[in-house]
Amino acid sequence: MTYAARDSEESLVVAAGRSPSGEGPLAQFLTSRGGRLFGQFIIVVALLTLWEFGSGAFLPRLWVSSPSAIIAQLYSWFADGSIWVHLIGTVSSAALGYLLGAIAGVATGLLLGLSARVEAIASPFIVALYSLPKVALAPFFVIFLGIGIESKIALVAVTVYFLLLYNTLDGIHDLDRGWASTYRLMGANSREIVRHVMLPGIMPWVFSGLRIAVRYAFTAAVFGELIAGNRGIGYLIEESAGNFKSSGIFAGVLALVVCSVSATQAIARVERTVLHWKT
Amino acid sequence: MIQELFSLEGVSKSFERDSNAIMALAPIDLSVEREEFVALVGPSGCGKSTILNMVAGLLRPSAGRLHYDGRPVNDLNLRVGYMTQRDTLLPWRTVADNIGSPLELSAHRTSKSERGDKIDRMIELVGLKGFEKHYPGELSGGMRRRVALARMLVYDPETLLMDEPFGALDAQLKLVMHDEIQRIVGIGRKTVLFVTHDLAEAIALADRVVVFSGRPGRVKTVRTVDLPRPRDVFRIRFAPRFTELHEELWDHLQDEVNRA
Repeated sequence: MTYAARDSEESLVVAAGRSPSGEGPLAQFLTSRGGRLFGQFIIVVALLTLWEFGSGAFLPRLWVSSPSAIIAQLYSWFADGSIWVHLIGTVSSAALGYLLGAIAGVATGLLLGLSARVEAIASPFIVALYSLPKVALAPFFVIFLGIGIESKIALVAVTVYFLLLYNTLDGIHDLDRGWASTYRLMGANSREIVRHVMLPGIMPWVFSGLRIAVRYAFTAAVFGELIAGNRGIGYLIEESAGNFKSSGIFAGVLALVVCSVSATQAIARVERTVLHWKT
Repeated sequence: MIQELFSLEGVSKSFERDSNAIMALAPIDLSVEREEFVALVGPSGCGKSTILNMVAGLLRPSAGRLHYDGRPVNDLNLRVGYMTQRDTLLPWRTVADNIGSPLELSAHRTSKSERGDKIDRMIELVGLKGFEKHYPGELSGGMRRRVALARMLVYDPETLLMDEPFGALDAQLKLVMHDEIQRIVGIGRKTVLFVTHDLAEAIALADRVVVFSGRPGRVKTVRTVDLPRPRDVFRIRFAPRFTELHEELWDHLQDEVNRA
């Protein structure tokens, strides 16, 4: 490559508002995939080191605990098996509520979406209920369903329900009107339009709702456990806090992060398979 | 005997906008015979697409009478195939599945093997061999038009409504498609209402060309194209008669284009 050619190429890159990637070996390394992972690894190690050795030195150990204490806490929970009842409690209430809420939300969205008139009547109620922070309903569910798993499932289901209802309605509004009229002219009846146009057409919206709903499901489940209950990661965190055991709080949070991230990833994987035409 | 298939008598269309009625199409009279190929030419926004929408039953005339096969068009007209200006392919279906979609409906129920045969024939017809498994998002504009054309032809509707079907195609491919459409229409004894900006295309394909004035659309002139059939679409534009017709119609069209 001549210098002139290299020069013009770089000036193009600069003109595009990015730093020239070919300037130094370090910059080049950090823009590669392996380099990026390495950089992220360094950041994590640095923060953990700072946390570990800062704890008790310039950070109050009582509040921040330390990475080693958190690992030790997790290890002991798994070693004596005491975490399982909590993990299963949270995951099952989140999963069951999620499933119920998602199915009911999509179904209601479809029913309302089929008739503009019904939707117009229902619309203000849906907006009001959607805007309501659902966790405010938690005490109601506790009174109504008790402190067991039922009240958590209900809280999760209500939260997920409105998310999916809203996304389904948005998806229906976003459908290309030309699709339905083309199908109608080809002789399709209403059932065939629902099956061939509406259901597949709203899938991108349903899946984006399903992905977002995962973390709301865990939030609702944990909130339910925090305010009332005798099991679940939320209860575990609450109990640790009551004993001023900050390592237990962080260990519980870490377990939640792992659950929520893996569930979201799993949904995203299904989404990529179903919506493979999008890419 | 001349047999009329559909007719517009004093049909006009106005749209409401900000509580003002905007006239899109001035009252027009047009009668189309069975197996006739009529091309509508005119500047943008002169209501050509509106006419197709009304014949398809997607829009109601604001005034006048619109009849198809002796009956007023009050509902969707299922005897027409409509290739709209904007393609309405389903993005989640492959080329083959989009083309075959009418055949999955109870109205045109076809056995799976027969469906496969028909799809294959259509794919060959519109020159998309090798693209069966592609999604619309992976195709060029011209290829998408051809998929839409194949989807309309596959269930064999009596009348074809086509709104600028070949606008996005390059010049050569356009001629190939003209040849094909002429053949299909001839074999299938189809009636065609064809909207285009391209005067040469209109003359090469149509039995009659209707030139429209700008908004609100009015019929400016109607010309019968007395070129013998079958036509060699690749050479017809060098025929003296073609040139004469083109010049004559262009004079009418030019005023409108200049005004627009």
